[in-house]
Amino acid sequence: MKLYYFSEMPHHEYPDAEGDKYPSLRLAFPNRFFDRGKAAANYQRYLTEYEFADQVGYDGLMINEHHSTPSCVDVGVNMTAAVLARTTTRAKILLLGNILPIEDNPVRMAEQIAMADLISGGRVLSGFVRGVGVEQWWANANPVHNRERFEECHDLILKCWTDPGPFRWEGKHYHFRHVNPWCLPLQQPHPPIWIPGTASPETAVWAGRRGYTYVPFLVPFDIARELFEFYRQGAAEVGRTVTADNLGFLICAVTADTRAKALEAGRHFVWRMGPTLRGPIEWFQPVGMRSKAGKQFALKARPRSLAQMSYDELVAEHFIIAGEPAEVADRFALVHQKLGCGHLLLEAQESRMDHPTTMRSIELMGAKVIPAIAKL
Amino acid sequence: MKIREETISVGGLAVHTWIGGQGDPLLVLHGAGGNRGFTRSLTQIAERYTVWAPTHPGFGQSGDAEWMEGVADLARFHLWFIEAAGLRRPHLLGASLGGWTAAEMAAMSPGAIDKLVLVSAAGLKPERGEILDVFFHSPAELRELNVYDKTTIPEWDELFGRAPTPAELEIAERNREMTARLGWKPYMHNPTLERFLPRVTNRALIVWGREDRIVPVVCGEQYRRLLPNATLTVLDTCGHLVAIEQPDTFARIVTEFLA
Repeated sequence: MKLYYFSEMPHHEYPDAEGDKYPSLRLAFPNRFFDRGKAAANYQRYLTEYEFADQVGYDGLMINEHHSTPSCVDVGVNMTAAVLARTTTRAKILLLGNILPIEDNPVRMAEQIAMADLISGGRVLSGFVRGVGVEQWWANANPVHNRERFEECHDLILKCWTDPGPFRWEGKHYHFRHVNPWCLPLQQPHPPIWIPGTASPETAVWAGRRGYTYVPFLVPFDIARELFEFYRQGAAEVGRTVTADNLGFLICAVTADTRAKALEAGRHFVWRMGPTLRGPIEWFQPVGMRSKAGKQFALKARPRSLAQMSYDELVAEHFIIAGEPAEVADRFALVHQKLGCGHLLLEAQESRMDHPTTMRSIELMGAKVIPAIAKL
Repeated sequence: MKIREETISVGGLAVHTWIGGQGDPLLVLHGAGGNRGFTRSLTQIAERYTVWAPTHPGFGQSGDAEWMEGVADLARFHLWFIEAAGLRRPHLLGASLGGWTAAEMAAMSPGAIDKLVLVSAAGLKPERGEILDVFFHSPAELRELNVYDKTTIPEWDELFGRAPTPAELEIAERNREMTARLGWKPYMHNPTLERFLPRVTNRALIVWGREDRIVPVVCGEQYRRLLPNATLTVLDTCGHLVAIEQPDTFARIVTEFLA
């Protein structure tokens, strides 16, 4: 099972009491609380941590993108990919991912991902996401078109990568009469495509049909298994065989020299389970964004929101794994045994988890955990 | 009064329509909240006019119209409805989203209608202030924002007094979705509409609540200025849902204007 390092590049640099005054940390929390100096230093710090993860033997570096929120100030996944393409040497760079429905120019996106792939020597794993509702507001993109635009944007990017130009694209949402990108990915026919999932059965089926790597985020094991079943249905429709390499899973994880220290560090993950997800439903799931099936599955997948769970419960149910390296390796083995996935994505830094703690966790993962699970 | 419901096919799309009253035809276009049918004010107006109140495609019990891209499509559709229903030069009344639609219809085909009534109509970018982002608010918040003082509203309990059934919730969600389809961007207005309104020489009445927190009253002034033959009536202590909030006054001024 391959391990991936991930930080949301949080900007938790303000008094929490200030954030609590607003209906949500997303969209509404005024950016006068954005600390430019600390942000500049944090980007350096976070990139150093990614580079260290590359050096200690992580299989991949996962990066993501959000907007208008202190929970994630990585505001351009292709930008970060370009940086890491130069400053790291061996790990895959997993973009998870580009938010397709809010993109107005898929041709430019295809070029940017291709350029990162070229600079990195073909290490890009290109994740595509539908985004949370907040991004629809940020981009002022109509949420009723979210799925249509996701699929059409995907189709056009793929065509840019695989069909010789020049060609014309006259779709429903995208119109380009002269497409001929002079930047194509190093990997052929194109970088592997990854798709995350939390609640949408349609997305799982869609990914399965195409053989993309599918990764549920922070859901209970039985829900992940159910989503994998949808994935298998999609794969079966087109006669594809599903292997462990098609399946991934994302959890929060930290290790330290002692169990107590790790459990202390793990508390930083609670921030991303509650406070950063707080807000009106209309902001996170604007009108028309989710299908009826998606809504029904979401209710089932989250009978209780992560925000309602205590830290101990989050640890007990494996949303957060925190412990000494040996214990962490055992837990990862359990995830592998329960889900049969070939990729484990670790949200490995959050909130105010400091640099020394983060670096030590990366170091111990490399020295003790990665070798222990290499055979899985 | 005899009120009936009909399904009228327009280009193959089933349009659920409330019909009732006596006299010349009056086409009534509802707002984003959906077709409430014969409310108190409409019932009074129907004593003098035959009211035709179609449910927009994508709303309520009308057929789907995921292909529609904006209010211009909806306006062309309702011009077609006039023909499909066999109405000859009806008066046209529209409120909020329906008011915007009515203004577009008048600008597209002024000869297709007689008099025009715009009530708290979206469609123009306010010179001052903003049209409230209704998608950013919960239905419960919107219910309050839509009116100035709910305690004075005779139909409040009847319309909003009980929790909606699952079927009603589903329709409300559908209405919101279709509204997003029609008015997401540019938000609830058409930047070029003002260029065409001077074409509309039909007699027009514009009605607004002074305390409208959804579409500011300045839009009423803009419509009055742009339409060559229009008067504006602004009601005090009244919010966005004029026909619900002051039904008797509303029915009276509309009936007087159409006479």
